[in-house]
Amino acid sequence: MRKSDSGLMFAKKKKTCPFKMSGFTDIDYKDVETLKLFITEKGKILPRRITGVSYYFQKKLKKAIKRARYVALLPFVAQE
Amino acid sequence: MKKLRKHLYEGMYILNVTLSEESRKKALDKILSGITEKGGEIHKIHDQGRSKLAYEIHGKREGYYFLVYFSCPSLAMEEIWKEYHLHEDLIRFMTMRTDHVKETLEFKPLKQV
Repeated sequence: MRKSDSGLMFAKKKKTCPFKMSGFTDIDYKDVETLKLFITEKGKILPRRITGVSYYFQKKLKKAIKRARYVALLPFVAQE
Repeated sequence: MKKLRKHLYEGMYILNVTLSEESRKKALDKILSGITEKGGEIHKIHDQGRSKLAYEIHGKREGYYFLVYFSCPSLAMEEIWKEYHLHEDLIRFMTMRTDHVKETLEFKPLKQV
């Protein structure tokens, strides 16, 4: 628990990397179901400050998503 | 003479869905024979079947996916790519280096935290 400037109390839960927790060694571009968890509805890559992915895995994730986009497994821009 | 180095590659190919089963087989054979002629070796072929493309490519909404693991001399890859660009039924291809051949295409899910 920490006291913020506004005086409100809030509990901050520390985010942990979901890939580290699950014991991943590499992220495959063919694993579309996993990749879909880390993109927005529009198809943009989510920043790691939101998802809690580590720096090491975010780089791997970025590469995997871009490869999946090229072979039309994931969209560049999702249409409504 | 410099010894030719062989590397393991993984290639993903998207073929036209309008082809009949026979001509699809022919189109795949053309891809595979292109590799073996250049001194390559085929290790594993995954037939991933027909699926919808995430976006339109040359007016096509569907594609037939194949995943091929092969080893090939690195110098031959450029010639192989040139052939792919002339291939009419190949909508898209991607080849990249890998460490090992995947026997199954199953992935473990992420742990829910």
